[in-house]
Amino acid sequence: MNIIVLVKQVPDTTDVKLDPKTGNLIREGIESIINPDDRHALEAAINLKEAAGGKVTVLSMGPPQAIDAISEAMGMGADRGILLSDRAFAGADTWATSFTLGKAIEKIGKYDLIFCGRQAIDGDTAQIGPQVGDYLHMSQVSYVYEIEKVNRKSIVVKRRLEDGFEKVRAAMPALLTVIGELNVPRYSHVGRLIDACKEKAPIEVWNAADIGVQTSEVGLEGSLTHVIKTFAPKFQREGEMLEGDTKESVKSLVGKLKENRLI
Amino acid sequence: MLRSDIEKLHRTIMARFVDEEVIPVARELDEQGEFPFYLFRKLADMGILGIRYPKKVGGSNGSTTLYCIAMEELARGFLSLAATTAMQCLMATNGLYLYGTKKMHEEYLRPALSGEKIGAFQLTEPEAGSDLGAVRTSATKVKDGWVINGMKTWSTSGPYGHFHTVLCQTDPAKKLKGLMFVLIPSDTPGFSHSKKFDTLGTRTSSLSEIYFNNCHVPDEYMLGELGRGLNVLLTILAEIRIMTACLAIGLHRAAMDDSIKYCKERVQFGKPIGKYQLIQAKIANMAVNLEAGRLMAYKVTHLIDKKIACLNEASMAKYFTVESACSACDQATRIFGAYGYSMEYAVQRYYRDNRFLLYGGGTHEVLQTTIARQFGI
Ligand SMILES: Cc1cc2nc3c(=O)[nH]c(=O)nc-3n(C[C@H](O)[C@H](O)[C@H](O)COP(=O)(O)OP(=O)(O)OC[C@H]3O[C@@H](n4cnc5c(N)ncnc54)[C@H](O)[C@@H]3O)c2cc1C
Ligand SMILES: Cc1cc2nc3c(=O)[nH]c(=O)nc-3n(C[C@H](O)[C@H](O)[C@H](O)COP(=O)(O)OP(=O)(O)OC[C@H]3O[C@@H](n4cnc5c(N)ncnc54)[C@H](O)[C@@H]3O)c2cc1C
Repeated sequence: MNIIVLVKQVPDTTDVKLDPKTGNLIREGIESIINPDDRHALEAAINLKEAAGGKVTVLSMGPPQAIDAISEAMGMGADRGILLSDRAFAGADTWATSFTLGKAIEKIGKYDLIFCGRQAIDGDTAQIGPQVGDYLHMSQVSYVYEIEKVNRKSIVVKRRLEDGFEKVRAAMPALLTVIGELNVPRYSHVGRLIDACKEKAPIEVWNAADIGVQTSEVGLEGSLTHVIKTFAPKFQREGEMLEGDTKESVKSLVGKLKENRLI
Repeated sequence: MLRSDIEKLHRTIMARFVDEEVIPVARELDEQGEFPFYLFRKLADMGILGIRYPKKVGGSNGSTTLYCIAMEELARGFLSLAATTAMQCLMATNGLYLYGTKKMHEEYLRPALSGEKIGAFQLTEPEAGSDLGAVRTSATKVKDGWVINGMKTWSTSGPYGHFHTVLCQTDPAKKLKGLMFVLIPSDTPGFSHSKKFDTLGTRTSSLSEIYFNNCHVPDEYMLGELGRGLNVLLTILAEIRIMTACLAIGLHRAAMDDSIKYCKERVQFGKPIGKYQLIQAKIANMAVNLEAGRLMAYKVTHLIDKKIACLNEASMAKYFTVESACSACDQATRIFGAYGYSMEYAVQRYYRDNRFLLYGGGTHEVLQTTIARQFGI
């Protein structure tokens, strides 16, 4: 089983602060981390590999420091890392991001499954997974919280809906976007992490030429949309009503507390 | 070639583990006083228990620096867990690694690095604390091995350790030159231990006396050469001391972080207490000592990684960082006022736990003596 996991490096905060003058993200003093949903994607991919054999390739587009996201993913158990890094990729909208990732995946070639997080905590659009799937003309299932069965031909998963779930069988190759409920991601293993930081580690850095794209097709230039203004909306607290009988709502409350790591 | 900085990345990942898995349960663990085996297993899964050892014995092939970074971060979360982990990584397993047979590696070392078996390291006896020449636990040669008689005290993990690296005397007349280390599994007939000690701090590291009554072990359980026990200890003494220094740095950071947060929140006389210069002086001292201690400690870890002798520097770093941590914990309880005296806040735990660092790895009086000795005093 050849699995590709798309991983984005994001600032370690959901409380993104914008510079009121420039509208840019304030990155100072904020550590970069692997996007939380992507950890679950990695865990799922590594689990499948451990059960069925194969290879996990982690792919990320980002600035040079996103190498840390790749190394950490390798520390968790990914076998190969590819960082798409080129000044020309900067300022990409979701279309250009998906196109760039799609091109890189075509270069990687053989794959049975592609795992993405549902959503990045900074960009927050949840568009990349579906757009990459669309670009590659493959079956895709979003909001996956359980993987029931996988074989060479198809995969059976459960996807979360607002008021229930949907069980889906998808033909392979398939792209899945996953949510936190799917699993508990492991921490990286220091021995593997050490190897991932060595020169001989199976990590490559690809630029625009490496994936065969013109610089005008990617990044800000290749983007279909352009941001005119960025501003921080006023934050308002929102409550959430849990419905159903006592047993159900207590279970769901505990689930939510766990999901948010409050217990 | 673009690659991550392993020391930085390893620290970030350890810090996240500590923030997510250790700090939220530290208070409860301290109150229960039971060793958290489940956290030990998690550390094993992350390759931390085997961080100093090569892959062929189940290790992670890391350096002393990476080991010390992990211990510092763990100590920031919970010194008691960090202390037991540090021992498992180093003192409890090093003799076994260096001098044990392949069979012993499979039986004890590999399971120790995967968190299934706990190791312990026994020097101290009722009459032999700083003075190891006074060790009386005897090893007597018999036809097919050694027979051990005597007792040890202050054994970390004594009550539940699966195997013990024990300093024994083979010939009292030879004093220090009669010492050697022996591996004694706790299922050896004649092995027993006392009730767990009640202690001031580091309350999850179970301590007890252990007793050997005609414990018979095979020849290959002798770790190192006959009469060379002190040399075996000396090969890792700098590392023991610098590891202890890094535990101190972690604890120091915890006390400082909590102090900074508290002095920004607590308002008296109309302002946060952090606005008062006397409080600022305390924080500034903590910060300066922390910075100096880090420079000393990680200089030594890098020297050890380069295999450059540095026992003296390690002793100085241990002495300085531990004194600094004790002072930081003391000052933290003052910044917290009465709340520093309450079990609700963690600073009381830091204050209790910091005392342990004063004895492990050599008391400060002994360290001062050895530091001065280099000047011919
Ligand atoms: C300077 C700047 C300018 C921008 N300008 C625009 C703009 O003009 N128009 C616009 O629409 N957006 C713009 N964006 C947002 C940018 O397009 C998104 O951050 C990016 O495309 C990813 O979308 P997302 O963060 O919403 O990811 P999501 O779609 O929420 O992410 C879902 C999943 O897709 C995968 N994924 C996402 N990004 C990557 C990646 N880089 N590498 C690997 N996998 C990934 C991960 O698995 C992730 O969990 C800009 C961002 C920046 C930093
Ligand atoms: C929490 C904890 C865990 C421990 N775990 C272990 C363990 O796992 N294995 C183990 O073997 N031991 C362990 N110890 C014991 C520790 O190693 C000893 O406490 C240490 O070696 C000092 O011995 P002592 O306490 O008997 O002090 P002593 O040697 O009796 O010293 C008492 C006082 O006299 C001073 N002193 C002694 N000699 C001199 C001198 N020559 N010059 C000046 N001053 C001197 C000391 O500095 C100290 O102030 C542990 C101790 C603690 C508190």
